[in-house]
Order: sequence, then structure tokens, then C-alpha cells
Amino acid sequence: MLTYIIKRLFFVLFVVWGLTVATFFISQILPGDPAISALGDKATDEMIQNFRDKNGLNQPVLVQYFSYVSRLAVGDLGTSLRTGRPILDDLRDFFPGTLELALAALLIAAAIGIPAGVLAALQQNKLPDVLVRLLALIGGATPIYWLAILLLETLHNKLRWLPGPGRLDAYLIAPPRVTGLVGIDAIFAGDWQVWSDSVMHLILPAFVLGAFSAALLARMTRAAMLETLNQDFVRTARAKGVSNSTVIVRHALRNAFLPVLTVLGGVLGGLLSGAVLTESIFSWPGVGRYVTDAAISLDFPAVMGVTLLAGVAYSLINLATDLLYAVLDPRISYG
Amino acid sequence: MRRRFGAAAALLSVSLLAIGVAQNSRSSTLVYGGDFSDLITLDPGTSYEFSGGLVTDNLYETLVKFEGEDLSTLKPGIATKWTVSDAGSSWKVVFNLRNQKFSSGNPVTADDVVYTFDRAIALKGNGSFLFDEVANMKVGSTKAINKTTLEVTLPKTASPAAFLNLLTFNIGGIVDSAEVKSHVVNNDYGTAWLKNHSAGSGPFVLNRWDQNQQVVLEANPNSRLLPLLSRVILREMKEANTQKIALESGEIDIAENLTPDMVAAKAKDAKFNVYKADSLRLQYLGMNTGADSPFKDARVRQAVRWAVDQDAIVNDLAGGNARKIQTIIPAGLFGYNPATPYKVDIEKAKSLLKAAGKEGGFEFEYLVPQGSCGAGIPCSDLAAKIQSDLAKIGLRAKIRQIVQSELLGIYRAQKAQMVMVGWSPDFPDPDGNATPMSDYGAKSLAWRNAWQNDTAGKLAQQAALEPNPAKRAALYKQLTELQLEDGPFAILYQPKVPLTLAKTVKGYLRNAQGQVRFEKISK
Repeated sequence: MLTYIIKRLFFVLFVVWGLTVATFFISQILPGDPAISALGDKATDEMIQNFRDKNGLNQPVLVQYFSYVSRLAVGDLGTSLRTGRPILDDLRDFFPGTLELALAALLIAAAIGIPAGVLAALQQNKLPDVLVRLLALIGGATPIYWLAILLLETLHNKLRWLPGPGRLDAYLIAPPRVTGLVGIDAIFAGDWQVWSDSVMHLILPAFVLGAFSAALLARMTRAAMLETLNQDFVRTARAKGVSNSTVIVRHALRNAFLPVLTVLGGVLGGLLSGAVLTESIFSWPGVGRYVTDAAISLDFPAVMGVTLLAGVAYSLINLATDLLYAVLDPRISYG
Repeated sequence: MRRRFGAAAALLSVSLLAIGVAQNSRSSTLVYGGDFSDLITLDPGTSYEFSGGLVTDNLYETLVKFEGEDLSTLKPGIATKWTVSDAGSSWKVVFNLRNQKFSSGNPVTADDVVYTFDRAIALKGNGSFLFDEVANMKVGSTKAINKTTLEVTLPKTASPAAFLNLLTFNIGGIVDSAEVKSHVVNNDYGTAWLKNHSAGSGPFVLNRWDQNQQVVLEANPNSRLLPLLSRVILREMKEANTQKIALESGEIDIAENLTPDMVAAKAKDAKFNVYKADSLRLQYLGMNTGADSPFKDARVRQAVRWAVDQDAIVNDLAGGNARKIQTIIPAGLFGYNPATPYKVDIEKAKSLLKAAGKEGGFEFEYLVPQGSCGAGIPCSDLAAKIQSDLAKIGLRAKIRQIVQSELLGIYRAQKAQMVMVGWSPDFPDPDGNATPMSDYGAKSLAWRNAWQNDTAGKLAQQAALEPNPAKRAALYKQLTELQLEDGPFAILYQPKVPLTLAKTVKGYLRNAQGQVRFEKISK
């Protein structure tokens, strides 16, 4: 098992290297001048020249690449051309927002999608199944932007059931930063008003972000459950007189969960790389908004930093998913 | 039973108290929603972004300032009096300071002003050029005569009027030198600390800045400018729809970036007011006058000006959120010339083309940036309108829409035939437009369009340095008229910035430089 994990971690290094090559060279062929973008129209030629010198933009492309990779090797992602701060510091500020939103969205997606998929499979071709399939179709096809505005307009603006955009009410003061996750930091600070407000603020964006994933999970769970429910071991379990709930949960769902787990991993990876639209509409300070602002300003080092973060997150989640396979299915072994 | 009742009563009292405190807090807090994503520092010495200015203008007082929407008359700030005198080879500007305190309680002294100006020059931030290139100042140009008097020496190559005007910009915000010096790390002039702290004498102090979330300002009890509200929160919201919903639900009191149709709808809603602020921006067409360019002949450039339907652009495309203007100094600034001699006259335009030997028209490349142009008009829509207007006189514009920085790269290399871009002066003085647009030697807009008119260049230099206001005004009139006739620009419009305010908000004023005095706002 340990050898397998080490091998996979080496593979992550290759992924990172591949990403550095792809993102760096793509950034070189994109139109636009990062120096003019950062300094603006009024900058003198001297200021632009100084900026290029300072950021190594005048060096040959290969020299720039090797300099970037060698800095990366010691954990330095470089400095953002837009914010002027180390990219690691920027990510430290923005990633917790995305992590908080992604985990909440995943929780909502799993809490809705998996039971709905199980229900649809158990009630195949009956009304619940038709409803779940219809809702899954709608959930998968609804544009995030539209859903977000609709929910904000109704649940926040008209009904006042849930708070509006932002991570916290404007009148509340965020707790001292420990993890960067406001809800967790509020618990550390013992500030329950901030904690409850942060949870309430999380519901709408997490639901909007999780709706698409819930639809995907419902369809996936339904298909996997249907396949498993027709297997011989399920029929045998029923013949042995095992209760219906045990058959469904311990025999069918556990076996059907492997493909669902793969989808869950992919969903989490996608969510962690930043939800641009959701973060923009809900004024959520996350990696999605950071990378959008960076891309608009031609801040390539920051874009590359976020790309690497997403690549590493995807790779590690894939590894964790594969390891979980072995836990769920004793036949799988990485020894 | 009695104990349970007592506990319930206590809980109810605490809840009511909490609600009361919250409501009181809401009524004394202004929440300002907008896109503040350009905010990268709150150090007045290095901040050069719009949002940075909006915040620092309220944290730091300047020696002189503008009041309300007026950008032509300087009013006392920290300085109660100032005089400009001709010292032969230089200008001497002497300021007398009032007795006041920084938020720390330290007195504001001439030494603080010296430190502020020298610091801004030494930092070489994005706005430092205002001091070292526009005002030709160096470290040491500012000297304290005593605690409340200081003298700035400017070389004769600089304009004292422009110097005084640029002091109203956030780089002129006076910092508490003792406080800043106590936070210097590695000779950084305290800039890392000032990035997210404040040390000024303005009406507010910085409570906190949560990047990409909000900036919270609290009333500064030591300021002479006591604010009407105790707290101002700038809440970052990029999306127009988000701002609209937050405004309607009462989460924010002011929305800065609603779309023109949203603003029009809110103007009819009794719960809101629409405030149209001026800007100093000019949206213009730049025509390359170089030897190989079809716009080399002034009559061709005039034909373009006779063909462009400005009224349709201002009224239809901008929905009235723009001002019609044809001269190079924006309305609101000293030296503004309201002349608008060009109206749509296709026959006149064609006859000018014929006189210039371009009777059959010609094809040319027309560079247009992506995104929105001034007044929220999509640049693609504006470009298509201009293309259609010019087609009526036989000029076939091939639109090439590219990212702004790529466009500027081509423009700055004199390689564009026609561009459509915007320009705003860096400080509220006509020289911020006159020199870049007229003086080829300044290597700015006139140079980019290969327009070398020595008379225009000399007029711009003369006007910049002229201390007599009447003479200065006459020089700018001469220059703007020359530009109307011969210049390489077709000014399209001066955008306005429409803001939507909850009806309860009173006293909001925003000048064309984007400055808002939060201390004068109540709700």
C-alpha cells in the first residue's frame, strides 16, 4: 500500500510538471502585454521597462521557464503582477473561501443526490423515479447564473428567509483567522452569532453550486443501484431472509457506491478549482474570483498558481478515491 | 415556573437589546456596494487605483482639496492658507497649517508633510510620477519652516497650479510620520503596514479590510471633520444583478455598478434616487496622422468628426449617461471649452474627403478594446455605430476587437490607424489632458497618433506654466480650438457614472475625480 501511495505521489509530480509546461507556454502565446496591463495606459516606457526587468519578462522564454520551475521547486509560486503579493499568500487568503463553499456544496449534493438515486432505483419506472429523473434533468440543465439570481431574488429579497451575497453580514466582524474557514474560526472564537450567520450565508451559494452535482450523483447512483439490485448476491441475500433495509444499505448501496465515489471525487476536484460564477454572484471571496481577476489582468503567474493548485487537488483527490475503493471493496488491494 | 418565566424574560430582553443595537448600528452605518476588486493597497503613497482613492480620500486629509462636485476652486484642507511666489529660478509655494490631530492623537506638523511628500517620491509607486515628473519635485524639495509652516520649491519647468491640483489626489494624503516610522520594516517606509492600516487625520480610520470582501471605516474621533455616520462599509459586489438584489433588500445603501436599464428602472422607483456623477474620462477616436496613414490630411480627420453621430451615441447607446463634448479638456475642469461645432453633415464630410483627394473613401483597420467602454456601452456596439456612421461617407472601417493591453501595445508603438479608447487625467488640472494630447515631445497621445503640431505643443507647455488664471484660460481656449480644427482626435463623449441610492441616503456627492466625502453622508 505504501509503495503504491509513493508511486502515485510521484505521478502527482509529473502532473505538476506537465501543468507548468502547458500553462507557461500557453501564457507566452496569448496576446496582450502583462506590463501594460499591470501599469496602465499612463505608464512611461521607462516604467514598463523597469516592470519587465523586475519580473523577468525581458528574459528568453526558456530562461523564464527554468527560473519559474526552480522557484517552484522550493515552494515559491512567484508574485502576482496584479496584487504585488506572493501568490502563496493570495491563495492562503482565497482558498479557504473556496474550500468552505466546495465542502458545503458537496455535502448538499451528496445529501440530495445519493438518497434520490437510491429511491429512484428502488421505485424504478414509478412516480418517484420519474420525478427524480425529471428533477435530475432540470438540475443538470439549469444554468447556475439563472438559478443563483432566481434564489437570491425569491429566498433572500422577497421572502427574507436567507441572507444575501457575501460570506458574513456586513455588520458582523469576522473572527480572528485561524483556519480561514469563517464557520470553524467562529467556533474557535466562541462567537455563535457569527457562526450561525456564516452557516446561513453558506446555504444559498452551496445549494446553487451543489444542484448540478446533486443531479449528476442522483443519475449515477440510480444507474449503479439498478445494476447492483439485479446481481445474484442481492437475490441470494433476499432469499436468505435478510431484511430489505439491510439488503439495500449493506449489500446493494455499498457495492453501487464505487462508481458514485468516483463521481464524488471528480465533483470535489472541480469545486475546489473555483466556482467562478457562483463566487461572483454571491460575492464570495474564493479562488474562482481570484483567478478571473488575474486572467483579466493578464496576471499569468497567478493563473499558473491556481492551475497548479487545481491540478494537485485533483490528483490528491483521485488518490484518496482509489484508496477508498480498497476500504469499500475488500477484493481491491494495492499491496 | 417563576424561574422559567424569569429566564424567558431575560432571554427576550437580551434579544431585544441585540436587535436594538443592530438596528442602531444599521442606521448609523452606510453600506456601499460596488466592484472594488482593483483595491490592492490602502497606502496613500502607493495607491493609484480608483477604489484605493475612494477609501484613502476619507482616511487622509490633504493640504488643499475640492468641495462637493466642483473641481475648479481649491479649498483649505490641512492648510488654511497657501501662497505661490516667483523666486526667480523657481516657484515657492508656502503653506500654513491648522492645528489638528492624527487619529493617533499626534499633532499634524509640517514635518509630517515633509515626510509624506519625500516618502511618496522615494517609494516610486504608481502615483509617484505626479510628484517627480509632473511637479518636478525631488526628495528635499519640501522643507518645514516651523511646526505649522512649510515651503515647497518647484523648478520653473513645473506648473504651480498643476502642483496644487495634484495635492488633492490621494498621494497628497498626509500621513502620521511618527506612527508610520514605528512600522518600518527593511526600509520599506512602512508601506507593508500602511497597506491595510491607516495613519491619517481624515474623518475615518480603517477598521479592517477583508480582501475581496469589504473595507470597514470607523469615525475618527480625533478628526476635525466629524462624520454624520459612525461607520462606512464598502461591500465588494462585482455583479450588477447582485448589487440590484442587495440594494432592494436593504443590504446595501448605494449600488455603484447597475446596468443602464437597471438604473432607468430604479429612477422610476420611489424607494430609490439615481445620482449621475460626472467623470473626467473622454471616450475618443485616435487617428494616426503619420506619413503612410489615410488620416494624414487634417480634412480627412474633420470629415470623420462631421460623420460621427454623437447625439445618437449619447442619447441612445449611453441612455443619457454621457455628456456630448468635442474638445480635449473634460467638462468640470478649468479650461473646458464647451464648443460643439461638429454636427452630422454627410455632404460636408464628403466634400472634405474630396478636397483631400479621398473621394472614393478608403479601408482602414479600426482597433477596439474588448469589454465595456465609458457609460457602460459595450465597446463592440459603439464600434459598430462608428463603423456605420463612417460607412456613410465611404470610409470602410475593419473592426479588430482585441484585449486592451494588446491594443495599447500597438497604439503606443504608433502602429494603429484608428483606435477607440478612453483617457482620464491623473489629477484635476487641464494639463492632465492638454500636454499628453497636444505635445508630441511628451511621447503620449499626440505622439501615439504621430501628430506633431509645434504650435499646439508650445501652447500646452505655456498654459501649464501660466500662473495667471485669465491668461491660462485664454491659452487653453486657443489650444482646444486648434485641436478641434487640426487635432488627431474625434472626441465621442464624456461618460457619467450613474449610482443608485436608497432614498434614505442624504448628502451623497461625488466629484468627477471620483472623490466622495463620506463624512457628509447621513441616512
